[in-house]
Amino acid sequence: MSGPLLELEDVVVRHGAVTAVDGLSLQVDRGEIVGLIGPNGAGKSTTLHAVMGLLRPSSGHIRLQSRSIAGRRPEDIARRGVALVPEGRRIYAELTVDENLRLGLAGRRARGDVAGDLRRLYDLFPVVEEARRRPAGGLSGGQQQQLAIARALIANPDVLLLDEPSLGLAPQMVDAVFETLTAIRDRGIAVLLVEQRAQRTVALANRSHVLSNGRLRLTLEPKDADDTQTMVAAYFA
Amino acid sequence: MRRSAGAVVELGVPALLVVAAALLATVFSHSTQTYFINALVNVAIVVALYAFIGNSGVVSFGHISFVALGAWTAGVLSVPAAEKPAIMPNLAHGLRTTTVGNVPSLALAAAVGAAFALLVGLPLMRLSGLAAGIATFGVLEITHNILRYWEKIGPGLNTFSSVPETTGLTQAAACAVIAVVVAFVYQRSRYGRVLRATREDAAAARAVGVSMYMQRLIAFTLSGALAGFAGGVYVHLLPLNTEALYLDLTFITLAMLVIGGTTSLLGAVVGALAVSGVDSFLATAENGVSIAGWNVDLPAGTRVVVVGALMAIVLILRPLGLTGGREATLPRWARIGSAP
Amino acid sequence: MIAILNINWQTLADAVGLGSIYALMAVGIGLVFGVLRLVNFAYGQLIMAGAFALALASQWGWPLWAGVLLCFAVVVVLSALMEVIVFRPLRGHSPAVMLVATFAVAFLLESIALIWFGSLGKIAASLAYLQRPVTISGVDVRKIAIVATVVAVLCLVALVALLSRTSVGLQMRAAAIDFRTARLLGVRANRVIGAAVLISGVLAAAVSVLLTVQSPLVTPDFALRDTILVLAGVVLGGMYRLGSATLGGFVIGFASGLLGGALPTAQSQYLPSFLFAAVILVLLIRPQGLFTRSQQQAVERV
Repeated sequence: MSGPLLELEDVVVRHGAVTAVDGLSLQVDRGEIVGLIGPNGAGKSTTLHAVMGLLRPSSGHIRLQSRSIAGRRPEDIARRGVALVPEGRRIYAELTVDENLRLGLAGRRARGDVAGDLRRLYDLFPVVEEARRRPAGGLSGGQQQQLAIARALIANPDVLLLDEPSLGLAPQMVDAVFETLTAIRDRGIAVLLVEQRAQRTVALANRSHVLSNGRLRLTLEPKDADDTQTMVAAYFA
Repeated sequence: MRRSAGAVVELGVPALLVVAAALLATVFSHSTQTYFINALVNVAIVVALYAFIGNSGVVSFGHISFVALGAWTAGVLSVPAAEKPAIMPNLAHGLRTTTVGNVPSLALAAAVGAAFALLVGLPLMRLSGLAAGIATFGVLEITHNILRYWEKIGPGLNTFSSVPETTGLTQAAACAVIAVVVAFVYQRSRYGRVLRATREDAAAARAVGVSMYMQRLIAFTLSGALAGFAGGVYVHLLPLNTEALYLDLTFITLAMLVIGGTTSLLGAVVGALAVSGVDSFLATAENGVSIAGWNVDLPAGTRVVVVGALMAIVLILRPLGLTGGREATLPRWARIGSAP
Repeated sequence: MIAILNINWQTLADAVGLGSIYALMAVGIGLVFGVLRLVNFAYGQLIMAGAFALALASQWGWPLWAGVLLCFAVVVVLSALMEVIVFRPLRGHSPAVMLVATFAVAFLLESIALIWFGSLGKIAASLAYLQRPVTISGVDVRKIAIVATVVAVLCLVALVALLSRTSVGLQMRAAAIDFRTARLLGVRANRVIGAAVLISGVLAAAVSVLLTVQSPLVTPDFALRDTILVLAGVVLGGMYRLGSATLGGFVIGFASGLLGGALPTAQSQYLPSFLFAAVILVLLIRPQGLFTRSQQQAVERV
């Protein structure tokens, strides 16, 4: 195996005059969760957008299995095995749950055993199966989040990017989402998780990078979880 | 000092272009002069379009209806009373008995254009983007439809013959310059600057308490006045009918504005003159012309193909137009020289 | 009321036929609008090109099927060219700029037709027999009214099947709602837009065939009036939903067919004014259209 699955090297992304991501380097490998935490406007979502091809980095490299993907179209990146669960879930409210899920098939590289993969997804998210024929807009926030994750997984991605999946969810739902992420990691998928819930992310992820003003400031490991607040505060003090 | 020098250039260059075109015309034969006069009338119409579209950033397909109304006003009022029954047998009584001179007819054309634009703008200026484009297109359709069939206010399907042909080179040039000056004064005024600010950043303008609706309405009314005025000038140039004041004119004048550069007065003037020049040349060529021993005889329709292609190319490759949407400025050495 | 309007069954059937043709045009315009947020002003010129193809084929003495085939080929190729040469470079521009650009393309195509065929036009007469009436339980109905309605219904059924049963159809629906998210899921923009343009072209070709029966004289401004009316109908119905746009097209066609046939000239000549006044009114008070339930509008573009 040559190099990490997803690798960012000195990535710089500018919004006009503002530098949103400033020389960021990180790696995510198979079966790993890497967390990105930090205050609003730190450049976390921008990083995901750059990986996904929604924004073009002004310098630096983004590589997928050692091949550069920076500047490619979002649909091409999706079809190379990167899936994004976007902020706000972006479920098609007026399409049915099943149709939302089938849209995820667009990112699949090979047809393969679609029925079997669906079976496994339904096991992971029973609600997605129960509500198949209903409009997705009728699902609760937590259910929609599960659908959004299922829609990303049906593409059989190597890398899963999640943009604040716990945002706006009830506490039990947050638990469910974090448990799901563990299950996804155990399938050998590389997960890059952007989150506001710093402590939980640090506890879950193999390592978590703290971003601020577009720069990587600090890297925490699960053993630091209980001290997340103090370590971050101490660093910025 | 520098500011006023800048203003002189910003107004002077477009105005001088108009005057230069008029002077150039005098060296040609009488029949060729017609093309120049036409080009100058186009300048007046395109500047009217620019006053709204350029400053607000909102597309209007409806301005030719103001031109048409101006033409109708000036035309109906200046056909000699004796000839009115022949071309306008069903004209309303008041219009049948009233006849005015050249200048008053132009002033009234401007007034009617402004009044109609205000009336239309009151509801429509709330719209922008696609909705504004389609609604203003609707205005064009309605005006065209009504002018075509309502014989109480004009010749209906007939052509406006017998309007005194007072638009010669001098009148066309003077009116084009008037349009340029009015548009310039407006864009330099507080209103013009505020509206341009809403075009650049609507949210920021709203945040500082600018009523975009009010500012657009002012610009729309003013450009309606200019368009009506230009329509008056136009009807004094040649006999018009409703078809001459409809889709084709809408297309060609919008093309001129887009090709020149939608966001600057210079762009409006340059676009109108350049496209009129190409158009006139091709029009002659459609009738067969001999250039340097080559007999060129283009098929009818070539003009629109060329102008349409030009417009599509400019939109795709140079969306800001030939002038890049910028006004004329002093050359750099002059700016340094005038610095205190 | 009915007595004043002088409606008979034949007028009614013709109105339904015209409404059906306009509904097809509305679908063609609405499909492309859905994925590109582009109002294709030049749609009528596609139909005009198809009509000229039919006229030429009948002038050359080709059999009917060959003429129809030529018509479909010309219109579909032209649609594809339009997408590649004009729409693609303009993607992501403001809707107003794209409207102006398709306005330019419309004039361009019309003038090319003028150069090529002259202003007098040509006759496409191979389907003229459809003008003749058939008698259905004592009522004379022109065959074309029936054919147009049947063709429209078949096309719509096929389209609904395509949109709901196939993956590209699903992707088109999703792209019309939120294109950015669709691309993130791996939906290829060019494929979806290409499919929409292609289907819209096929529909335009079908309309060419039907309209040449209605008016066999093909001139460079063929279908121009119809397109303007359909655009009005699409806005009236609600352009952000394909169903409401289609219904809007049908209603405009039906209304103008009925009123045009039934009203005395003194009133019917002002019909366009009333239609466009209604369009403006709808834009002001119900910008989402008459036949769309929610306020929800999809605004994301490619």
